[in-house]
Amino acid sequence: MNTSVPSKGTGRVGEAAKKRDGKALLTGGARYVDDVRLPGTLYAAVVRSTVAHARIRRVHTEEALSLPGVELVLTGERARELTEPIPYFIDPVVRGARRVDIHCLESERVVFVGQPVAAVVADTWEGAQRAARLVRVDYDVLPHVLDAEQAMSDDAPRVYEEWADNVVLSKSYGTGDPDGALSSADVVVTGSFRSERTTTAPIEPRGFLARWDAREETLTMHGSCQNPHQLRWMLSTTLGIPENRVRVITEKVGGSFGLKMQGQPEETLVALLSVLTGSPVKWIEDRRESFLAGSRQQVHRFTVGARSDGRIVALVNEIVADAGAMTAQAGWAMPNMSATTFPSGYRIPDCRIDLSIVATNKPPLSAARGFGKDSAHLVMERVVDLVARRLGLDPALVRERNFISSDEFPYRTSTGLNIDSGDFHGLLDKATKSLDYEGWRARQAKARGAGEHIGLGLALELTPESSDSPGSFVSGFDTTTVRMSVTGSVTVLTGVTSPGGGNDTGIAQIVATELGIPLEWVRVVQGDTDQCPNGFGNFSGRSMVVGGGSAALASRDVLRTLTTVGARMLGVERVEVREGAVVDPEGSDSVPVPDVARAVLTRSFEIASEVEPILESTRAYKPGNIDHRPDEHGRIQPYPTYSSCLHATAVRVDAETGKVEIADYAMAHDCGTMINPALVEGQAWGAVVMGLGAALSERLVFDEAGHTVSDRFKSYLLPRASDVPMIRMEHQVTPSPFTMHGNKGAGEAGVGGAQAAIANAVEDALSPLGVLVDRLPLSPPTVLELIRRAKEGRM
Amino acid sequence: MRNIRLNVNGEDHEVEVDPRRLLVHVVREEVGLTGTHVGCLTGDCGACTVMVDDRSVKSCSVLAAGADGACVRTIEYLGTEEDLDPVQQAFLDEFAFQCGYCLPGMLLTVRELLDAEPDPDDAAILQAISGNLCRCTGYGPIVRAVRAAVRSTRGGEGS
Repeated sequence: MNTSVPSKGTGRVGEAAKKRDGKALLTGGARYVDDVRLPGTLYAAVVRSTVAHARIRRVHTEEALSLPGVELVLTGERARELTEPIPYFIDPVVRGARRVDIHCLESERVVFVGQPVAAVVADTWEGAQRAARLVRVDYDVLPHVLDAEQAMSDDAPRVYEEWADNVVLSKSYGTGDPDGALSSADVVVTGSFRSERTTTAPIEPRGFLARWDAREETLTMHGSCQNPHQLRWMLSTTLGIPENRVRVITEKVGGSFGLKMQGQPEETLVALLSVLTGSPVKWIEDRRESFLAGSRQQVHRFTVGARSDGRIVALVNEIVADAGAMTAQAGWAMPNMSATTFPSGYRIPDCRIDLSIVATNKPPLSAARGFGKDSAHLVMERVVDLVARRLGLDPALVRERNFISSDEFPYRTSTGLNIDSGDFHGLLDKATKSLDYEGWRARQAKARGAGEHIGLGLALELTPESSDSPGSFVSGFDTTTVRMSVTGSVTVLTGVTSPGGGNDTGIAQIVATELGIPLEWVRVVQGDTDQCPNGFGNFSGRSMVVGGGSAALASRDVLRTLTTVGARMLGVERVEVREGAVVDPEGSDSVPVPDVARAVLTRSFEIASEVEPILESTRAYKPGNIDHRPDEHGRIQPYPTYSSCLHATAVRVDAETGKVEIADYAMAHDCGTMINPALVEGQAWGAVVMGLGAALSERLVFDEAGHTVSDRFKSYLLPRASDVPMIRMEHQVTPSPFTMHGNKGAGEAGVGGAQAAIANAVEDALSPLGVLVDRLPLSPPTVLELIRRAKEGRM
Repeated sequence: MRNIRLNVNGEDHEVEVDPRRLLVHVVREEVGLTGTHVGCLTGDCGACTVMVDDRSVKSCSVLAAGADGACVRTIEYLGTEEDLDPVQQAFLDEFAFQCGYCLPGMLLTVRELLDAEPDPDDAAILQAISGNLCRCTGYGPIVRAVRAAVRSTRGGEGS
């Protein structure tokens, strides 16, 4: 559970109120899951597959069991008798995809290195680690496949023998006649792009502390997680414990970025270990385990047609997405969003996107900030630049000519998304001005004369947010309770959670503003399924849209009672609430809100008669613009809002060393109304730098046997402070017509656009050498390889 | 097992430890100060940073037995919610953190920098914090906060 005590100061909607949990975090007083201490806690360690594909012959537990302090060694066979398969967060069958049963421990056939096959419980953390190393597993090794394109060939090993091939989902999106439009285009450009596997890498890994109370028959799960209610449902399903006997408490979350959405095997596993031992059991993921989770890895092959003035007339794109092994977590479904995000904010009615999501013998994808949209932006923005380059036009001009205009919204894209609002031309103007685009072009020309390589990169990023998926717990609404006590203090209990972004602060600002009370009177409680109303936690930039909207609705109910009774106390018809007092706007009389609250709750047969004596309301908020009824092209519209941003960067590339230096970076950002601009900016900044990591240095590397080689921060290179620029951020506000405050989802925009802007800038820098950028990350060896290839191509 | 003595944030502790036990685990489990975090156990992320005899160290890379007799300072020593250190205040004002998990390392590293060099340039700031990973902020707000802490310290000297 997270509660936040307010910082003093500004607190109305639109102001940069300080993070409410800030002081606790700054002084080491915040409690993360590994900080929770329960008497008698035992420690779990997971035994993982050491082979990429094999039948499990036997699991030897004797040696581990003989160690002092070891309480339990659980095998997959035993776990399978005790638990049901993990329910999918996003059901593949509903999406027309293939599925497999996923258990908390695999008992028959492992399909990736790192898959949980057994678990050990001991009285110390070190003891559990030691015992886990002593569990031996005999495998009959089977052939494996690690590359998605290879996995699509007829003779490829099958990841799941019950499937006819390795394709999880094959689907086409788009409308119009792209082939016809291509044949009438002035120019046709074809190309491909390959992105490598990256990972979310929050600094706090995942972790859970489960406590089964045998007498009460209740399970309490403390976790570093984003979605406590969904986790409760999942544990109830896998363990067969009634849902009202499961309590999930989200402790302070040390970053997540999608990783800590539920559906991973260890959640059920840790709970089961507590049930079996009768003791609290803690499991904290180690960094190597955390590096198993993949974020993205796709190959795109595209054909784009344009008129000679730069207007794009058609786009055909084939995506092969490497999902790794299947997961009950949301990760497997991300590439679907890559497909439907095309053609982004560009007016291209003739468009076809062919998607294949393919299973391989790598670890599964885990949900990751961007959720597939990032890969679409990376490739779409490359496509626009390639058109510009072919035509000899400036990339800024080609963008201007193809952007959907602000008077066309809401605009239905060919893949089905209904963009609510925006002003992409305005973003381009702001970002290029902020960067001094013209100035950099002049510097570039001068540098080229001196043999130096400066490049400019632009990228639009359109971010569909706050998704809904019918019949699932990917929900487009959420619920909040606002409760005022007899002393006027307010408790807000909300279904949305905050893994660090600070939506608790934003929600408190909304409640304080709606009720006309100081921010200090508001306490926000999140992430406790026993306290908070049924809700859906944190994903898809939803928390301020639906958490904020429902908090406003509930506040207004409380306000109505306050003003009714307050008006009676003042003996006037109409009152307002300002700065904690009910005031007569015509005169000078006022009565403090706590006095009114006290009257409502203690004088209900007197001055508050005929008023229902309750200062509490629970409301759900559903934004507009979501429509799951397929149109004549079969398109659905799962998103209420579409944030947008435009990245503009200047890079210097050292053609001798391959080193890319980001010389300048500007971003124009539009998430509609900002509830708290400082928090929005912080999210955007972090997302950009996460994208810069994917663009320049981050890559999960596997050896031929399927082992993750880059299993620590020494070999998986997150950006460090000295690697990244100071970003200049410009804001544009086009309020969404479909949300209560006009806000749009914030927090994901940045990851895809940053990758695209860097790829475009590096190609622009090296264009005199004929370099074509068709892959990421652009680490020095890759840049040198691209230069070498360009030289060979010209010979 | 062996007994070691640590002075942690001004309090003396005598702890019986396994010779293989890491300092970070002793600080968190035996001393009970959980403001110091574990992020990687390979010395790369910096979330476990503490001061040992006035020098910042990554406590996941130090055996507790090796710190016998040392004076250890943790994030809890830096300031309280009522009386924040200027560095903490600057981090709050500049939104220089989100999830907070990297803060023990960031704050102690910056404090150490400013104690040694009250007016560092940006290059010195970047160098100082480059041993600490943050996945939330993108670092810019942290750099801004360090600059603000420098300004506030200078302002304090003038008054």
